[in-house]
Amino acid sequence: MKVERAAGPNVEAPTTGAPAFIETHGLSFTYHQSARPALSGISFAQRQGEMVGVMGASGAGKSTFAKCLNRIIPELEDGVFEGTIHLDGRSLEGVSVAELAGTVAMVFQDFEAQLFCTTVAQEVAFALEQMAMEREQMKKRVAQAIEAVGLRGFERRDPTSLSGGEKQRLAIAAVLALNPSLVLLDEPTTDLDPEGKVQVFELIARLRTSGHNLIVIEHEAEELRRCDRLLLIDDGKVAADAAPAQLLAEVELLERCGVHAPGLNRVLNGLGIRAHAQNVDHAEDMIRNRFAHRLPVAAPTPLSTELESCDPLPIDTRRVDGSPSGPLAEVRSASFAYPEGPPVVSSVDLEIREGEFVALVGQNGSGKTTLAKLIVGLLRPTAGVVAIAGKDIGRADAAGVARQVGYVFQNPDHQIFADSVEDEVAFGPRNLGLAPGEVKRRSETVLEAVGLTAQRASDPFLLSKGERQRLAVASVLAMQPRLLILDEPTTGLDYREQRRMMHLVVELNRSGIAILMITHTPWLVTEYAHRVVLMRAGRKLFDGGVRAFVSGDAMLARSSFRVPEVTQLARRFGAISLSAEEFVRWLKTQV
Amino acid sequence: MRDLVLMWRNTRMVVLCAISGALYAAVLVPFKVVPLIPGVTELRPANAIPVVCSFLFGPAAAWGTAIGNVIGDFFGGVGPGDIFGFLANLAYGYVPYKVWNALAGGRNPIARSPLSIGCYVTACLLASMQCADIVGWGENLLALRPFSVMGNVIVFNNLLASLALAPFLLYAIYPRVCRGRMLYQDMMPELRAMPRAVQLAGLALLAFGVFGAWVAGNLVSTGYWEPAFLPLRMVQAPYDGAVAVVVSPFILVSALGLGLM
Amino acid sequence: MPIYLYLDRETFLHRLNPSVKVFALFVMFWSVYWVDQPLALVPLGVLLVAAAEFTDSWPNFWRLRWLFALVILFTTLAWMVFYRRGPAVANLGIIHLSHASLLFGFGRGLKLAELLATSVLFLSVTKVEELTEGLTKLGVPYRAGFAIMLAFRLAPLFIDSAVTVAQAQRLRGYQFDRGGPLERIRRYVPVMIPVFMGALRKANNMAVALETRGFGRNARPTSLAEYPTRWPDVAACVVLAGLAAGYFLIYYAGYGAIAAN
Repeated sequence: MKVERAAGPNVEAPTTGAPAFIETHGLSFTYHQSARPALSGISFAQRQGEMVGVMGASGAGKSTFAKCLNRIIPELEDGVFEGTIHLDGRSLEGVSVAELAGTVAMVFQDFEAQLFCTTVAQEVAFALEQMAMEREQMKKRVAQAIEAVGLRGFERRDPTSLSGGEKQRLAIAAVLALNPSLVLLDEPTTDLDPEGKVQVFELIARLRTSGHNLIVIEHEAEELRRCDRLLLIDDGKVAADAAPAQLLAEVELLERCGVHAPGLNRVLNGLGIRAHAQNVDHAEDMIRNRFAHRLPVAAPTPLSTELESCDPLPIDTRRVDGSPSGPLAEVRSASFAYPEGPPVVSSVDLEIREGEFVALVGQNGSGKTTLAKLIVGLLRPTAGVVAIAGKDIGRADAAGVARQVGYVFQNPDHQIFADSVEDEVAFGPRNLGLAPGEVKRRSETVLEAVGLTAQRASDPFLLSKGERQRLAVASVLAMQPRLLILDEPTTGLDYREQRRMMHLVVELNRSGIAILMITHTPWLVTEYAHRVVLMRAGRKLFDGGVRAFVSGDAMLARSSFRVPEVTQLARRFGAISLSAEEFVRWLKTQV
Repeated sequence: MRDLVLMWRNTRMVVLCAISGALYAAVLVPFKVVPLIPGVTELRPANAIPVVCSFLFGPAAAWGTAIGNVIGDFFGGVGPGDIFGFLANLAYGYVPYKVWNALAGGRNPIARSPLSIGCYVTACLLASMQCADIVGWGENLLALRPFSVMGNVIVFNNLLASLALAPFLLYAIYPRVCRGRMLYQDMMPELRAMPRAVQLAGLALLAFGVFGAWVAGNLVSTGYWEPAFLPLRMVQAPYDGAVAVVVSPFILVSALGLGLM
Repeated sequence: MPIYLYLDRETFLHRLNPSVKVFALFVMFWSVYWVDQPLALVPLGVLLVAAAEFTDSWPNFWRLRWLFALVILFTTLAWMVFYRRGPAVANLGIIHLSHASLLFGFGRGLKLAELLATSVLFLSVTKVEELTEGLTKLGVPYRAGFAIMLAFRLAPLFIDSAVTVAQAQRLRGYQFDRGGPLERIRRYVPVMIPVFMGALRKANNMAVALETRGFGRNARPTSLAEYPTRWPDVAACVVLAGLAAGYFLIYYAGYGAIAAN
């Protein structure tokens, strides 16, 4: 195995006879007005037909590296650039981004920022039009690219009407139409729901099979298992360059570099098996081999409480039922439909009690956000009742509701506007008409709680995404709500930031604030929530404890929820574990 | 006005033009607050956007404002007056930064000195009046509405937004855009200002044209001034022809002034 | 809520060449321009109603029904203030109520409403890309046409963003409708800053994405869309030319004007 932790050149010698297709030597870049280099002496080579995965925490230099490969750096970004890049043996020095457009194509994380046209077909044709391609040839290329990404029949659709996954596939079609030699995908699934992620990764797998040279940037290591090689970047340098089977087994190294190691490998690592599991079967085989079949065989897993469950995690204060307090939020037979539209929420009953931690899950369009907006009073039910602390929300004013229920939007940038962090946090309490002393006291308390006291005088727009997300939480917390609704609080955050955000949420929950968290991320549900509410087509499909939720096969099959691989693995041994650590602990008691 | 042509060569400026237009339309559509004259115009917070964008993105904001107004009209229907609406909004997005440059040079538009405030108010006043003159003149030319209706409503509406709202937005956004090196000066370092004397001469012509058009348009369209040099059939209600003849030279002078800046 | 007025139908008017649609728009504006007499405007009104029925555009007209009513009402009133001709029937302050002023004001209100109806019809049958194609045919440079298309695409995104931001601030206890006009307009600051900054974050990514797709590589990009001229386009042009000539003849014969006394 060759896992390098080198600062200098570390290009691997090709293991096959294939020549390097793209080669970089000593790539370094320092952004304008930045004291620290974003990239430091990266040397790398990719062979023809390879798919390379690039991993690393936010700010590690992954995107900067990709931008160097298609000359966005140094052509369009100010800063100091050093190093050389050769593509098919030809130096790229002096070549413009537009000139490289047909050769090195890039798909960006923000799909909205890379779609410019008003129909799908036009979007795909856009780059070909720029090349002044003849219409007949263009039509063929457009049809091929649309076919390749599975969007046939969508040609006349407005891109804005597509789902996130479809938009990202369209963005990929738009670059595939150019027949590029290399496709760079920069975190293409970060902003997508699970269904969209699956669509895009399936497409990437197909592209790989069809022989495209691919570089995929991603911070979820689990998704990069199908790559030929992985490059781990940390602090602008190559921390490791190896095959997935080798690198993904290095759980400590990955987590040290801010990458979420695959759950199965974390289990193996916890059991002292330093190996990489390709899938759940593979992990099961390895564990059984190691422990010589001393472990129980997979038990049937009916939806019952008979299943052997594990001890809760230390951070877990699960109390699904039996809370002595009355309901904080009550939704009774609530329905909602936009004028002349179909129902978005249909006859939903829901209670949230003091101190609960509820995960609200379901596909896009299942009615999660609408239900949350009904609870916070942003929408009024077309039928049924929503009550907060026993009071019909229809009779309460916005400020009154704001004192009881806080809502943190998915994108923190949808509420940040003030000149300083402190002012941002004080905005809500001031709107409630509180005295300056109380406003100051609350601001200090919540800034301390979210770990932003040191940045109190900073411009909020200069904070990192994770810090802005915590600021958004703080500014809602300052209203001292009893129920906090969080809409996808970890979207766009890297693993470290996700953990930090969730620890904050757990601490708030422990302090007595009820949490309703809308999320698409399965491991957040299993590791942190007490209770799950699953929505499907506007109706509540499930409402109960997390363990019951992940053992309900029939119900899960009807939803898009992907049970974490660790939980699937645990079930092979007749247990229901909600995290790798929990499963390892349980296994150790069995062997 | 070379900058209005040169900016199209720069991809970032093209994007900023589209973004200025979309922003203007995006605030124009959902936040039509208080109708001032129902069916004619409203108290529009969106009218602060062109001024803010002008200081940030210069010529891209001018085209963007014109496009944004067209989009806004696409929600509620366009009319022939929109040809003049396009020109008027182009001026509304273009005049503020040109006047500021002529008066204050390369100074920071968010400085809180009396001089800066004076320059800012002048820039907003001239931009609002230029916009109003063009719409009033155009609608009168097409025999749709009297100059004195649109000419005054638009001045009031634009001034209110540009003085009551735009400074707060500019104060919050300018330093951030400046830090991100997204000001038009960063995007188009090749832009060269005219000699100061020429700029000031242009400013004088602009001010003369703008005030002249507004005063003359109001006086003629309300019948208070019946120019003796015009044939009798023109100096009677609805005064369409009279307004066209009297206001047009002032509009031309203001355009010439802008060209010199 | 549908944002633009376009209705996806398969009618003869939808299928017309974009240049012919722009020509039709021009002819309607031309025809309306020459007449003030409400009776002379009736044939155009009938034509518009027929077209609305044929294209099933009524949902758009229904959506804008109040705008039509207000345009007619306030244009009529505005002209009754300035068109002070004919013997006054009643003394209503600044409004000069005479047969002539009422007829004239109503005629101009009707003109504006017909122009609005024309544009609603145009937008009901014309896609944004057809409009930009039409503009390009009229000589608008490619990059400007692209900026218009991009702004149209971005506007709904920014509207969504503005609505979300307004919701987020409301949930922090913020009230938009407090205070007088100045205070109310200033209270939009917490909405407009996030929308603005969100748009600016996009701007850089967009410019980069455009460059990577070869934007600017060729001065004369080709086009995927085809808009061939078919016989219905020719026939439509002939009919429209006849309409334009007819209305000029009505004016020339003196039937379009209103007798002042």
